Amino acid sequence: MSSSTSIDNPIYGPFFGVMGAASAIIFSALGAAYGTAKSGTGIAAMSVMRPELIMKSIIPVVMAGIIAIYGLVVAVLIAGQLDVPQNYSLYKGFIHLGAGLSVGFSGMAAGFAIGIVGDAGVRGTAQQPRLFVGMILILIFAEVLGLYGLIVAIYMYTK
Amino acid sequence: MSNKSKKATGGASDANQQKLAKQRSHDSQDYSAFKVVLFYCSLIVFLPVVTFFVLKGFVLERFFTMSDVKVNIAAAVGAVAALHVSLGVYIYRAYFGGSKASKED
Repeated sequence: MSSSTSIDNPIYGPFFGVMGAASAIIFSALGAAYGTAKSGTGIAAMSVMRPELIMKSIIPVVMAGIIAIYGLVVAVLIAGQLDVPQNYSLYKGFIHLGAGLSVGFSGMAAGFAIGIVGDAGVRGTAQQPRLFVGMILILIFAEVLGLYGLIVAIYMYTK
Repeated sequence: MSNKSKKATGGASDANQQKLAKQRSHDSQDYSAFKVVLFYCSLIVFLPVVTFFVLKGFVLERFFTMSDVKVNIAAAVGAVAALHVSLGVYIYRAYFGGSKASKED
């Protein structure tokens, strides 16, 4: 056991990979939860007066949920490669930690943006329906921040 | 209330029925909106997960000779693409279908 662990394959190598997978889903879920909760309060306040707009106003919640799916995809990818230290080099662990952190923190940032924009946008859409297109555009630009993190994470994962 | 009942002594049942019909139409509208939203939300949540594992487990490993990492990447990209397609369909439906419903109200 101890003979097969070397300086390239130390016993703590998989620790970094595990932390990468965990941080990918933890921070993405944190951002998605904030986005859902913040835009959910806006939807609840707006739906009292305009219940027919529910279908339109659910969109920020759906977009916040997508952030968590980004984190889930990267976490599953990393978890699929985790192995015993003999087959899992320290370099792989570092790469996986970086991939997880990149998608996790990007997802958190995107979730915060979606929450704040969704709250204000949904409240505004109730009073001026033409704001809807602008809200969708801003939400897409917020969502894309999480997608950038996913792209970088997948690119790192291929190394 | 008393004013209303005096006016509608003749057509009390009529007014009641109208109210009921209105309530029913509201309920059916709510129900249909709920069905649409539930369908799209479950589509957006489950489609990428299903796509990921179907692509990884069945399609790519059987029909293509790729390395493990490439299969994973292709499955992840496919899942994210499926996710965005379903999100786009939902936004399209909310934008064009939802405006019709709001005009009716």
